[in-house]
Amino acid sequence: MTEQSALLLRKQLAELNKNPVEGFSAGLIDDDDIYKWEVVIIGPQDTLFEGGFFKAYLTFPYDYPLRPPKMKFITEIWHPNVAKNGDVCISILHEPGEDKFGYEKPEERWLPIHTVETIMISVISMLADPNSDSPANVDAAKEWREDPNGEFKKKVARCVRKSQEMAFD
Amino acid sequence: MAEEKQESSQGDIEGVNCLAYDEAIIAQQDKIQQEIANTNPLVSDKQDLSVLQKEYAEDDAVYQLKLKDLYKKYAYIRKTRPDGNCFYRAFGFAHLESLLEDSKELQKFKAVAAKSKHDLVNEGFTEFTIEDFHNTFMDLIEVCEKQPSLQELLNSFNDQNMSDYVVVYLRLLTSGYLQREHGFFEHFIEGGRTIKEFCQQEVEPMSKESDHIHIIALAKALNVSILVEYMDRGEGGTVNHHVFPEGGDPRIFLLYRPGHYDILYK
Repeated sequence: MTEQSALLLRKQLAELNKNPVEGFSAGLIDDDDIYKWEVVIIGPQDTLFEGGFFKAYLTFPYDYPLRPPKMKFITEIWHPNVAKNGDVCISILHEPGEDKFGYEKPEERWLPIHTVETIMISVISMLADPNSDSPANVDAAKEWREDPNGEFKKKVARCVRKSQEMAFD
Repeated sequence: MAEEKQESSQGDIEGVNCLAYDEAIIAQQDKIQQEIANTNPLVSDKQDLSVLQKEYAEDDAVYQLKLKDLYKKYAYIRKTRPDGNCFYRAFGFAHLESLLEDSKELQKFKAVAAKSKHDLVNEGFTEFTIEDFHNTFMDLIEVCEKQPSLQELLNSFNDQNMSDYVVVYLRLLTSGYLQREHGFFEHFIEGGRTIKEFCQQEVEPMSKESDHIHIIALAKALNVSILVEYMDRGEGGTVNHHVFPEGGDPRIFLLYRPGHYDILYK
């Protein structure tokens, strides 16, 4: 029943187009493929990421929402929970049972009732509040832990600037 | 064959770092799950209860005695896949099966099921995120209204996606009832968690196993009485049973063996 996941994703896309949610925008990478989304996250206010426009791809499995999508930032972003290749590593995108790092609390795992909107809300909250206990980018986590206003801030500011240049190209 | 596979996968993980080692464990767990899936249908055909005999050693006195006790009360078993969702799947199938020939009860159940979505929405669930699961559940009840063959119902429950959608909805109903009656249930939650946390950790995620508290909640949420026969290593020679909720007149009989539920028939 791949159709059911396609229908659900179409419904979510239509809903997001009709009633956009503050903080991000969403669309398809290719209009013919409902399983591949492009989202742009606006760096949350009062954080180091403020002013940035971060583009990311969401790839949904055919058995969504039984299993979570994968998320990858295309815009360069320096963050403890985003791997250097852009892969987003937050617990709600992990299936229950699978716990490579062993740090995450079980309550934050993937649930079939998550939507693009609830995922984005988690990602935006991750930008505002990194979790350095289970880093995907160890260097960023170390810098953030040792001095969030030092090297870390500088690298984030560079990403924000680059993201603006990309967005207004 | 299985041994060979294990050897080669062990060879693969030698000399790699810790993280890769964890990944190898996850890969192996996936493989085990896959093997379980290949050898166990989600819901099996009805089998003679004597199939259980082969699962226990002849000199395993505790289980052999309990099996004898079980034979006195039941004749058949229908097995479910041990994937952590077995309670919900066993319940869902057994209940709809029992309603195939009882259209009056089926109509009552349909009314309860139809209303259940509003209860969940009142409980704070977003309609949009639960309605696909609810629709699949209602579709299946409507299929039952047409009095399909048992095989059709069995096919639906062995369609992974449809079957899992039903499991998700039963999990949501369980969660909703626990949260609605949190004043009562919160006394039974271990680990200082709130009911909401418990539901998000132990009820709503797929593959999380069920305990008494889940069974009571689902039985009450759907107003269906469930009898569970407990067969474990405890002394006594007889199989103990519990009816959920207490004092009900059960239509569904489940066999619990540590970590797993199957369906029993008289």
